[in-house]
Amino acid sequence: MAFNGISIVFARCLSLLQLLFRLDRGLPPANRRLVVDGLAGALAIGLVATTPVAAQDKPSSVGLGVFTFTSGPAAAYGMPGKNAADLMIDEINAKGGIGGVSVTATYVDEAQGAQGVIAEYRRLAGDAKNQVMVAALSSATCLALAPIAEQLEVPTVGWNCDTHQLLMDGKSKYVFRPNGNTVPEFIAYAIYLLDRKPDVKTVAIINPDYAFGHDAAKIFTAALKALKPDIQIVAELYPKLGSPNYQTEISRLTTARPDVVFSNLWGADLENFVRQATPRGLFTSSQVILALGETVLQRVPLPDGVIVGVLGDGWWMSPDAKANPETVKFAEAYKSRFGEYPVFPSIKMANTLIYVKAAYEAAMQKNGAKWPTRAELADAMKGSKVTTLTGTVQTRADNDGLVDQIVGVTVKTSAQPFPAIGDMVRYKGDSLLPQAGQDPLAWISTLKPEFAKGLPKPGSYKIGER
Amino acid sequence: MSNAIIPLLLDSLASAALIFFAAVGLTLVFSVLRVLNVAHGSLYSIGGYVAASVCLFIASRQLNPYLSFVALLFSAVFVAAILGPLIERSLVRWTYGKSEAVQILITFGLFLILEDLQRLVFGVQSLYEDSPMRLLGTSSIGGVVYLNYQILLVAMAVLVVVGLRLLINHTRLGRLITAVVTDREMAQSIGIDTNRIFILAFSLGVFLAALGGALATPTSGIAPGLGADTMVLAFAVAAIGGLGQIEGAAVASLIVGFARVLAIYLVPSLDAVAPYAAMLAVLLIRPYGLFGSVTARRI
Repeated sequence: MAFNGISIVFARCLSLLQLLFRLDRGLPPANRRLVVDGLAGALAIGLVATTPVAAQDKPSSVGLGVFTFTSGPAAAYGMPGKNAADLMIDEINAKGGIGGVSVTATYVDEAQGAQGVIAEYRRLAGDAKNQVMVAALSSATCLALAPIAEQLEVPTVGWNCDTHQLLMDGKSKYVFRPNGNTVPEFIAYAIYLLDRKPDVKTVAIINPDYAFGHDAAKIFTAALKALKPDIQIVAELYPKLGSPNYQTEISRLTTARPDVVFSNLWGADLENFVRQATPRGLFTSSQVILALGETVLQRVPLPDGVIVGVLGDGWWMSPDAKANPETVKFAEAYKSRFGEYPVFPSIKMANTLIYVKAAYEAAMQKNGAKWPTRAELADAMKGSKVTTLTGTVQTRADNDGLVDQIVGVTVKTSAQPFPAIGDMVRYKGDSLLPQAGQDPLAWISTLKPEFAKGLPKPGSYKIGER
Repeated sequence: MSNAIIPLLLDSLASAALIFFAAVGLTLVFSVLRVLNVAHGSLYSIGGYVAASVCLFIASRQLNPYLSFVALLFSAVFVAAILGPLIERSLVRWTYGKSEAVQILITFGLFLILEDLQRLVFGVQSLYEDSPMRLLGTSSIGGVVYLNYQILLVAMAVLVVVGLRLLINHTRLGRLITAVVTDREMAQSIGIDTNRIFILAFSLGVFLAALGGALATPTSGIAPGLGADTMVLAFAVAAIGGLGQIEGAAVASLIVGFARVLAIYLVPSLDAVAPYAAMLAVLLIRPYGLFGSVTARRI
């Protein structure tokens, strides 16, 4: 009731403000709207911040701000995330919602750039109905939103957010990442490569030209050099994110004649690169590693033997996924609704929503079944261990997630008309990550060739052998 | 690095061909209409979208795959026939004789409209159709496998330069255009229908832009945002060559292509800035571009 009362007062304040600004002919309509929106946001934040009791009343529905790319070249990665969110929210609501409260999502397109995304985040945070933000896909967006999440005290769960820089200071109270980060994700490829091709001598890299691409190159290179010091990096290319044409880069990679080509291109960039590199023989002249290769398996005919993975454990056909009836059901429902099986960004999103739901349930269990506040939700996420569609996620003290890493190679299969991942390995989440607070690159440089000996080997991750 | 010289030169030519197609329409329109068409990049991407859609249709109906080559050309003709006269008569003609600021504002508005229209019609996801590229196969040159389609693009770019030169110098239409460019009032006074020339010249510019987008489609996907990137690059080429200079655009495309490819081979971190560094260097020495001059305009 208190919440309803506050809502009525808040709405009336807004009406008065709009009336006031309607009388002011000096401001153009767009500016008036901006001022009203800004004041509304500020008022809402004030109300939320000063009335913690209000949030304890169970609302009619709970909102989630979901940030992803729904347009542009990055939509090839972002839309599967949005599709999974739609499907998972429908499934949650079909089972009675969260604590009897139905879930709704407001999607924000990250393609509009950091300023627009920040404004949208503030607007959504200003609405008390939106208690949690599922943000975001791009590392750049996540880095931009993290300080605002702390400032506004809004639990913000990175559904992708790979950069290891996000939680490095270990002081975050409201930002969580129930995924792996760039450190375990790319060390995993270095270890897998050296296990599979121990004689590799030269490596070329082609990554997107922003934090994710450069961080991945640093981590992958540092891990390779630590584990096999005589490896040479013969070319490092960083094409602009969203480049449609890679023909010159493909020529450059070919002339460098590397044993291995490593790439963490993603979205439409990856699809473009694969389509252009395949006829030009790059996949036959070098061992290619596509760190996000699973996302294009259903769309582009990748040859056998390409090292691919899922940046975590989110492969819908993994032995763990196949053994979980919920995952099989989710994958089939996804296929029938969207025409293809869920790629790992879809699974990451679905797992993130499971994580958020688990936080609500844990918080309500702790506070006597009352509707939790934002602070209580953040508290419930800390140190949580949640079973997901493809494994488990353990939240560390620095709010980073421990998730296993699956890597393998493309193989033909009779079960599907597209390549699957074979000769797989599943590294434990904590085995490839430094302790909280430790500098990741410094930690990687301390690794010795013996480090890899204690880890599982390619081909060890099979059905019934976990 | 010595083994990379032939690939470097070939890549420069292939890159220059794509850049030339993006820029030549812009410079042609400026030479005749004296309008800097900021919406040029959108027309390039519309050409790409239409070509990709038609090629996808051909593939889905399992028609003769070689029809996709015809589709590339006719997509550009279709876009030019519809949008050329429409845009020229409804918007561009009001900017003749107006200040550059007005021209840029109007064509920029058009650019925004066209970008949103593309999202509305073609969606926000990337489109791919590479059957023309696959049909032509590959050749190994200097130890590097190249797409024969890339070589075809270089040949097409040369054809367009020669074709435009023949059109301007050896046809009646070309002479009429030259007359209008040289002295618009005098051309009107001797009975040349300048409005018709403007429509034809603008439509030819739209055709070249759409052809550039269509020919680029088989080797690269088409996605929202391509128009803006193309426009910036086309402007850099037009500025280097001298606004309104067709041969200038060809030479500038070679310079920009070579600068970009050289950067990728030697200093990859300078890849994105290389075209603009080349533009800056040329404009510092020749402020009106390589083939440009303060007053006289040629085509």
